[in-house]
Amino acid sequence: MSKTETPLDERAPDVFQSEKRERLKEFKSSMLNIVKSRRNFKDFLFHIILGIGIIIIIMPFFLVLYQVASVGFGELFSNGFDSFSNFFLTEPGRGLMGGIRNAFFGTIFLIILASAVGIPLSVFGAVYINEYTRPGRIRDMVEFTSDVLAGIPSIVFGAFGFAFLVGFLGLGMGLLSGSLTLAFMMIPTVLRTTQEALRAVPMSLREASLALGATKWSTTWNVTMRAAFPGVITGVLLAIGRVMGETAPLIFTSGNSLTTPTEIVGPGSWVASMPYTIWSYITDPRQYLNIKAHATAVALMTMVLAIDIVANIISRKVTRRLV
Amino acid sequence: MNQEADSTSMNTMDEKPKHLMTMILEKLKRPFIEFRDADTPGRIDFFGRIGLAIPALASTLVIILILTFLWYESAPIFTSPEGGPGIIIGPTWDPNRNLYGIGVFIAGSLACAAIAIGLAVPLGIGGAIFLSEYCPNRLRVPLRMIVEMMAAIPSIVYGLWALLVIVPFIEKSFAPAVQNNILFSWMPWFQGSTNGLSVLAGGLILTIMLLPTVVAISNDALQSVPMNLREASYALGATRSETARRIVMSAALPGIGAAVVLSLGRAVGETMAVLMVTGNSLQVPYSLFDPTYVMTSIITNQLGYAFIFPLWRSALFAVGLILLIMSIFFTITAKILIRWGMKTRGYV
Repeated sequence: MSKTETPLDERAPDVFQSEKRERLKEFKSSMLNIVKSRRNFKDFLFHIILGIGIIIIIMPFFLVLYQVASVGFGELFSNGFDSFSNFFLTEPGRGLMGGIRNAFFGTIFLIILASAVGIPLSVFGAVYINEYTRPGRIRDMVEFTSDVLAGIPSIVFGAFGFAFLVGFLGLGMGLLSGSLTLAFMMIPTVLRTTQEALRAVPMSLREASLALGATKWSTTWNVTMRAAFPGVITGVLLAIGRVMGETAPLIFTSGNSLTTPTEIVGPGSWVASMPYTIWSYITDPRQYLNIKAHATAVALMTMVLAIDIVANIISRKVTRRLV
Repeated sequence: MNQEADSTSMNTMDEKPKHLMTMILEKLKRPFIEFRDADTPGRIDFFGRIGLAIPALASTLVIILILTFLWYESAPIFTSPEGGPGIIIGPTWDPNRNLYGIGVFIAGSLACAAIAIGLAVPLGIGGAIFLSEYCPNRLRVPLRMIVEMMAAIPSIVYGLWALLVIVPFIEKSFAPAVQNNILFSWMPWFQGSTNGLSVLAGGLILTIMLLPTVVAISNDALQSVPMNLREASYALGATRSETARRIVMSAALPGIGAAVVLSLGRAVGETMAVLMVTGNSLQVPYSLFDPTYVMTSIITNQLGYAFIFPLWRSALFAVGLILLIMSIFFTITAKILIRWGMKTRGYV
């Protein structure tokens, strides 16, 4: 019995050895190939240089993450969970010693209002030009203007909001002006991703619905939009993540405040935001404010990256389902 | 009598070709008649059609409003004797003496953008080639995700990092290392003492912020090159690098060009990070270690004080208008490149 098994046991390492030897041979032959011809050597060199290039490209991500997170999390969790919740739930108070409740809730209010204006505008717009118009001048115009809108520097949006919303319309600085400016910035992202999502919905779905006697309206909202919904959500999340970190448009439109806003328009509506708070804290000479800026930055970054990852996962799931 | 008159008029209407006005009237009337005859879902459909048309024009309306208001606000400086169109190349910015030359900011912006483009474009295209041609499959998804996440990091966080890491690095390590080295110390672009806040710091942080854009757009362009072009090249015995450089790159050239132009637009328009690290000093940079002032920073720093002085305020809006025109120009160039690609290659 044992006699029949021992050869197997002995052979087993032999199998691995031969596999190893084969791999080594392969490696050797590939190395030989590289040395043998100049073209192969060039190819190898190109490969190595590009590999180093991609490492250089992604390195700043980890450097930024390390710098901000090491200081920021140290401040956030200096006293366990209490200091974490205190940081978000107390007002700055005297000497800005407290938390960032004003900026945290300010950002949330700004985003909610901006989404309430910007998302319907851009989603309805995308539905109209994709479902109701033929390819032609109107569609080209809307696509072109939204591409231009996507390329406009954020400070120009800020200056425009200052001239138009604050000055011309007389809204004054505050929650409404700031969030309308952000809403304008959301339009191109949401519009283009919604359009992509609608374009990916197969025509046969629409035709089936129309053949059953449904109107265009109910076809669009009950059939097409339901199929395109994950793509639309992706665009919305990407846009929210983008405007959440914008500072420049808010400097002249939303003002700044040490408390949460009490009204939407008027003197009580001045509102702080997390990016603006990072800026004013990091340019302040007081050391503890610099640390608070790190903590705010890590909180903002966590929120933005979480939104981005969720959007990524949704879009990956969707593409897999459609393909 | 009446009946006869009616019938004759009917006859004439039938014989004559329809008058233009009646055709227009009928066209105008038709929706109302349809609406009268429709049931409830039909009426909802009718209102929906009109209701959706308004948001579709929102982006166009916003662009027109931005152009109008920036023009309206910057008109005083372009028409007043102190200003005029010459301010675009005017080198002196001193609102106290009514000198509003914004050439210095344009020079600063272009210097920062040039450094950033010069570093980010070769590196970014290389990264895109690696991702699409060389990358092992199990590394591709995480690398793409990291690049996408880099694009999502707020610019203020990059600015914070640059202020705390890049600026001290330039002051303490890079500048002494370069200026004490006999190989580099004679070069004119490495002259001058520095506290780290410099055009080089601005260019470096811009490079880092542009890289995700360049990589993502060029990678899309490379991936859209048909596989059979690559296979044909391999079949002829070309190595992978030759295929990537000669075949794939040239096939994807319009898309890569669009990536470069779009990232140039981002480089000129980036605000917070550059504002924090370029030093904001009113001078044209002659060396990499000189501080400078870029177009976006001057608006951010001074609009808050300037809005009660009409000329000063309007000069700042003129800077904004120039930024806007530049970004529109870059977008149009990218579109033309993409159209060129569609025409010559059939894909982008």
